[in-house]
Amino acid sequence: MTRRLALLLLVLAPAIPWSQAQLDRHAGRYRAQEEVLYLWSGQQVKRLFPGFEGVGADLYWLRTVQYFGGERLFARAKRFELLRPLIDITTTLDPRLEIAYRYGAVFLSEGPPVGAGRPLEGIEVLAEGARRLPHSWRLRQDLGFFHYLFLSDAARAAAILDEAAALPGAPFWLRTLAADLLARGGNRADARQMWKQMFDQAEEGILKENARLRLRILDSQDRADYLTALVAQLGRRVGRRPDRLDELRTAGLWRGPLKDSEGVRFGYDASSGRVSISRESPLWRPE
Amino acid sequence: MIRILSVAANTFRETVRERVLYNLVFFALLMTLSGLLLGQLSIRQDEKIIKDLGLAAMDLFGTLIAVFIGVGLVSKEIERRSLYPLLAKPLTRGEFFIGKFAGLVFTLFVNLGLMTAGLYVTLVATGRRPDPLLLAAVYPIFLGLLLVVAFAMLFSTVSSSSALASVFTVGTVVAGRFTDVIRNMREVAPGVPPWLVDGLYAILPNFRNFDFKDRVAYGDPVGAGVLAWVTVYAAVYVTVVVALGLAAFRSRDFQ
Repeated sequence: MTRRLALLLLVLAPAIPWSQAQLDRHAGRYRAQEEVLYLWSGQQVKRLFPGFEGVGADLYWLRTVQYFGGERLFARAKRFELLRPLIDITTTLDPRLEIAYRYGAVFLSEGPPVGAGRPLEGIEVLAEGARRLPHSWRLRQDLGFFHYLFLSDAARAAAILDEAAALPGAPFWLRTLAADLLARGGNRADARQMWKQMFDQAEEGILKENARLRLRILDSQDRADYLTALVAQLGRRVGRRPDRLDELRTAGLWRGPLKDSEGVRFGYDASSGRVSISRESPLWRPE
Repeated sequence: MIRILSVAANTFRETVRERVLYNLVFFALLMTLSGLLLGQLSIRQDEKIIKDLGLAAMDLFGTLIAVFIGVGLVSKEIERRSLYPLLAKPLTRGEFFIGKFAGLVFTLFVNLGLMTAGLYVTLVATGRRPDPLLLAAVYPIFLGLLLVVAFAMLFSTVSSSSALASVFTVGTVVAGRFTDVIRNMREVAPGVPPWLVDGLYAILPNFRNFDFKDRVAYGDPVGAGVLAWVTVYAAVYVTVVVALGLAAFRSRDFQ
């Protein structure tokens, strides 16, 4: 009997990794999980964790991060349907978890394929965070930034940044930035300063990487604008718009690469003379 | 006093031989150590997650130990009939009951100490400061566990089986963790008479009083005054429940 049992184990034990390998081969090594959320209300979930809300929030935050990463990297549809309820549950369980508001807002606001492309919801999350943590200048700063960067609402952004500047511990430049936004109505330099601040404040990770990408987009947009101006200059000189961007080199107006910060060649519309980030580039974003 | 200490020492020796105790402590330490892994996945929340998991493990597994060992302390002696020769000795029922309580309290103290050490080791292993503020959350957890043990012993004395006593104890602990819901009951059910709400809120053990985990995980100080009042609350409540248990134990007919 014992010998038979040992034989059975000997045969079946290697079958476990073998069957897993077969499963991976057919379903793909990395695959998005079919995510299901049984409880959608933070208050409902809170009732399930009496006295353990903190650790519940940690678990839901881990699930939020894993869900976002899974959808972003492996899902085909990238709908991020559960992102908002997961963030809401996390912050209801632990209203002081500042990071959930800040990262959650980025996950929701960034456009596809990076995020869910729902900036209004991202701003709602930050506004809720600012209401629950009235002394957090960082949440108000982000709320102001997002109003400008995603909704182009410079006046509202300036007002919120002014509020943030009045909070204890807030850096002095927030008030300057608010004044600049109000005076100029916002421009690319303001956007650059905001992303630079987010880059400097973030530790290595998704938030920093996103800010780095945004700065590279702004660099490339600056270069594209400069090349557009050179195209116009060449047009005035020879009496017609160039057919190809390389003519700038031939005319001696530009010696550098005709590529964006990711090394992808700029797009050029000969009919309008406009140079822009190519749709093939990871830096391309819908306007 | 010496007789109470003898019973307590025997109870301690007896409880540390329980297999369920080792299982629960093992899982508590495993849960604390899992903070090492989970923290890595959390984006900058590793320290908070380690603290949250460690303190939650102490609270959860401490409660389980208190319930499952607590209900067996008296009922097992009755079921095994080992109580009769004990009571035939120069040992009063009161000394036996309080000695049993003290023995399990000491067991919980040792276990909680072990889990606290596990939490500090995990923090140090990840290069974090061994935050002494954590003790401001561990101490109230210990006080809450004393109350759980008191209830477990009371229910094991008055009920006919250990299973029933476990259900009553767990029910009381869960109800005690929902005291905020009871307090605000009239907001969702305005028809409930206020005296009933106030009465329930006053009578039920408020286990929320012993919960400082979130505050400590965020590094907020816990005032000595608050801890002193929590101690008073626990002392009064534990004394009342132990006295009820003792009264029930004294009046019980073991024939």
